[in-house]
Amino acid sequence: MAHQTAHHTETSHHAPVAEHVEEHTTTGINHRKLLMWVFLSSDCLFFGSLIATYMVYRGQSLVGPYPVDIIDVPITTISTFVLLCSSFAMVRALAATNEDRQGAILFWLLTTAFLGAIFIGFQVYEFNLFRAEGLRIDTNLFGSTFFTLTGFHGAHVTLGIVWLLGLAWIAKKGRLGPKTALDVELAGLYWHFVDIVWIVIFTLIYLIGGFDTGPAVDPSLVPHSITGFLGLI
Amino acid sequence: MSSDPGVHESRHPTLKQYVGIAIFLFVITIVEFVIILPQNFRGAGWTIAPLAILSAIKFAAVIFFYMHLKFDNRLLTWVFLGGLALGFAVVFALVGLFGTYTPSPRAWAQANAEPCLFDHDHGGCVDLAAAQRAAETETPETPAAEDAPPAEPSHTAPAPSGGLAAEGQALFTGRGVCITCHKIEGVEGAVGILGPDLTNVATVAETRQPGVSAEEYLVQSIVEPDAYIVDEYPAALMNATVAGLALTDAEVDALVAFLLEQK
Ligand code: HEC
Repeated sequence: MAHQTAHHTETSHHAPVAEHVEEHTTTGINHRKLLMWVFLSSDCLFFGSLIATYMVYRGQSLVGPYPVDIIDVPITTISTFVLLCSSFAMVRALAATNEDRQGAILFWLLTTAFLGAIFIGFQVYEFNLFRAEGLRIDTNLFGSTFFTLTGFHGAHVTLGIVWLLGLAWIAKKGRLGPKTALDVELAGLYWHFVDIVWIVIFTLIYLIGGFDTGPAVDPSLVPHSITGFLGLI
Repeated sequence: MSSDPGVHESRHPTLKQYVGIAIFLFVITIVEFVIILPQNFRGAGWTIAPLAILSAIKFAAVIFFYMHLKFDNRLLTWVFLGGLALGFAVVFALVGLFGTYTPSPRAWAQANAEPCLFDHDHGGCVDLAAAQRAAETETPETPAAEDAPPAEPSHTAPAPSGGLAAEGQALFTGRGVCITCHKIEGVEGAVGILGPDLTNVATVAETRQPGVSAEEYLVQSIVEPDAYIVDEYPAALMNATVAGLALTDAEVDALVAFLLEQK
């Protein structure tokens, strides 16, 4: 049904293309939207390899701090809630765009970006705390895999914030509405994807791996072994 | 245009549905948090399955409703699930490969643990292996010293007279790595400071424990270093190294014979 409507509106010279019309492509999907999904799909592989790296080296650190020493699950649960809220704000922003409620578009876009910024604030706080407690990216395998994985996720969130602020700027000029809803929708897809990646990271690093301890071997015996192990590789 | 509201309804969940999903996601996160609240549940193997399932549910709720895959063209679902499946494949492949072909650093450390003696002067571990190598290259000189006793540089350390004592000195500077921790004036390389100076150990040994002869005391010092701890020196330190050497009784006798000459 929708297809037929699309054909007619496009060929006739009436109004501009209706808001929810599926674009006239071989797939029936708008190219930009398909591209976005292909990108997100490929990002699964990107995060998949980082997650795999974390899993491979999980519980292999030979020197502390170990996860159990520094991971703070309650604090991170709060920041997880913040990110979930931001996803909700994002769907509200898209709904407002479809309904052409200008004030609401701006409000929800800014709210999403703001909640994202709070999430990043938590992450900056956490990273600094970890550094202060002696965990750096080159301290041990936990540090390397942790900072790489969560760091890349944080970078994704940061990029999303920039994108949202850009949209908010356009919204402020009144240029977002049902006709340009796809612009908001694509940003939303990206934003929600970043949220689901966090769902996985939170479960894996915090809820499951957050209580990992050091090796059973006497830590005072370790320094020799590290050099030995590096020599082996 | 009249079909628009219908299209709209089918493509985007209503506000009520969105709020419902948000609450659902919150509740699941709280449940996850509650699972790991009891101290003894934390990190327990059995928590992995429920936590993974709960987060998979959250994952699905977000992609199908917030990202409205459920209402969109099927192709998009396949595009994304395809990538997701490949992502899983990457995880399985990497974990499988590394798990199988790369030694586990911890297992390796456990199998190859060596005693580490903290070097208070320089920090880190005393490099016992290097000291031992250095000592081994010096060993050939010992028989020479034995051949020409007058050439001994210092008289505080009389040249070993018997073969047993010479053997003891070779052990002391060689395989025994004693010189890394002990000093004996006149014995080349014996400059360690982690343990007591043994220059006059034969004399000292007699007075250490009442009723214990110098010989008995020295045997005990080597075989069971922690039985008597010299004042101001750490316990366990010598034990950590010497236990690993697995000295034979004959070797201990030789060492004692050598030490008894350090009057
Ligand atoms: C890792 C350092 C270390 C090494 C190696 C070591 N010792 Fe010791 N040794 C000590 C320390 C520390 C003490 C003092 C603490 C104690 O009495 O256990 C000590 C004490 C002794 C004493 C008692 C000294 C006294 O004044 O009562 C004797 C004898 C001795 N060592 C002999 C040896 C011999 C022989 C070897 C080689 C087989 C050896 N040590 C290797 C650290 C070492």
